[in-house]
Amino acid sequence: LKEPQLIVIGSGPGGMAAAIEAARVGVKTLILDENPKPGGRIYWQFNEGFKIKDEKVLGPDYPRGIELLNEVEKHSANIEYLDNAVVLGFFDNRVFIYQRGDEGLTLRYDKLVVATGAYDRPVAFPGWTLPGVFTAGGAQTLVKMQRVLPGKKVLFAGTGPLQLVVANQVIAAGGDVVAVLEAGDIEQWFKLVKGFWRNWDYLKDGWNYLKGIRKAGVELMRKHLIVEVRGDDCVEEALIAEVDDEWRPKKGALRSLKVDAVCIGYGLIPSVEITRQIGCKQNYEPKVGGWIPVRGKNMETSVPGVYAVGDGAGVAGSAVANLEGRIAGIAAASSLGSIGAKEVEKRLKPFRDKLERITRLREVLDEISMPRPGLYELATDSTVICRCEEITLGEIKQIVRDGVEDINEIKRLTRMGMGRCQGRMCAPLVQEVIARMIGIPPAEVGYLNQRPPVKPVPLAVLASLPGEVEMRHGW
Amino acid sequence: MENLRVFKGVDHGKQFEIEVDGERVVAFEGESVAAALVASGKRVFNHSPKRKEKRSMYCGIGLCYGCLMVIDGVPNTRSCQTLAKPGMRVEIQHGLQKEEVEN
Repeated sequence: LKEPQLIVIGSGPGGMAAAIEAARVGVKTLILDENPKPGGRIYWQFNEGFKIKDEKVLGPDYPRGIELLNEVEKHSANIEYLDNAVVLGFFDNRVFIYQRGDEGLTLRYDKLVVATGAYDRPVAFPGWTLPGVFTAGGAQTLVKMQRVLPGKKVLFAGTGPLQLVVANQVIAAGGDVVAVLEAGDIEQWFKLVKGFWRNWDYLKDGWNYLKGIRKAGVELMRKHLIVEVRGDDCVEEALIAEVDDEWRPKKGALRSLKVDAVCIGYGLIPSVEITRQIGCKQNYEPKVGGWIPVRGKNMETSVPGVYAVGDGAGVAGSAVANLEGRIAGIAAASSLGSIGAKEVEKRLKPFRDKLERITRLREVLDEISMPRPGLYELATDSTVICRCEEITLGEIKQIVRDGVEDINEIKRLTRMGMGRCQGRMCAPLVQEVIARMIGIPPAEVGYLNQRPPVKPVPLAVLASLPGEVEMRHGW
Repeated sequence: MENLRVFKGVDHGKQFEIEVDGERVVAFEGESVAAALVASGKRVFNHSPKRKEKRSMYCGIGLCYGCLMVIDGVPNTRSCQTLAKPGMRVEIQHGLQKEEVEN
């Protein structure tokens, strides 16, 4: 595709659904994804080499992914998929740069759908940087895509559905799950989801995951968290505690579990690096993961022609991502004149109705799964908060006590957020630290300035960029 | 030897060997370097620059840069995003490169 009319970043359910709806009406669409295969994290396809003998062991999401990929294939005349394409930065005049292999390239966009997904919320506690501590998503990549167990004795700790999914995948693969700790009050889930049985399709997975854990004889410990992990080369022991409604450990003995892997899944954080670089207005919405782009009902951000869908615009799972993607795809196609005004509403309605129904249920679930203050009180002064630059909680607190309250100023003074992860791991934690210390809502702390590159890049790749790009005002 | 691979329902690709700090380690076609190491019970991927702490794969999706290793001579390579290849030379990273350098 020489001149794509629509560019989609990310090939998870949101990105693919947007491409399908636009391509269906003839819009030339280009999808970029940094991975070798389309699907995103949920619908990830195996690398060359693996061969599926029995699809059933892969769980219910695998066939859903195949179905969506087939739908993309059906419209392949109008969809081009660019694999291994890492989007690096957005510049003036609707130009962005990306890396493919050793080469830096530029693209101009008119209509853009950003479907960048989310990543596991980093949670700092003593020992969280030890080998053997994985995010739930990290453990999932091992077991689901690589068919490797994260350890011989695996402990899960977190809240909400993702860790249940991964724990089931480890159990189904024959792994030994020692326990699953749910920080929230899981019994409340059942009370609160009553009245939402019209969403049975949606709830069924969650119900099956709970059943799988129980059937395997794995203890699901509600209102418990990991407070510390110990070991030399690797995790050897996890200390766990019962917590109150604010997730603060109750007075009394900690329990020690002998494990060699712990998987931490306290929800996800939307990947907003790209929408932020473009300049899309952002709001802080802790129930859906943190900072998210503000959107109209067609998923359009504050920057005209730029749409944001899926977990990268508020964590809500694959079903919502798919619906949002379809809505954005239709809206983008309509603004390109490929769908008539009357036809648009007809096409949008079924997706909007379904989205509204799921959203009401989601709001209830989000409320229960939102991290409570106790989660941010586990780190001690000597706990590393910024993993790349190795800045401790104590160092951050000292700077704040010295009167520095601006997160970007703290970055400049300590180097937190200046490492290779570019603040993805530490910034959400430091935001909470500052908010707590000076007594303001996390939203008022603000966020680290976002500049290219989105991901670290070799200088040779930048040097290979054709022509020049204009820096955005304010950088 | 420890083997955390799962063979139920999915065949792994062709088996070969990679070299990790001089030691032969089994890997399969399609596996990331990180997965091959975890499968063989190898957990320490690098030692952090300042505190010299043992580090390893954490996020698994190429965001945290916790899994950095020296792969075929190139330091700071994400082992979770690098496919294992026959004969690949993998080294545990110390600080920002293979060997610790005083600065």
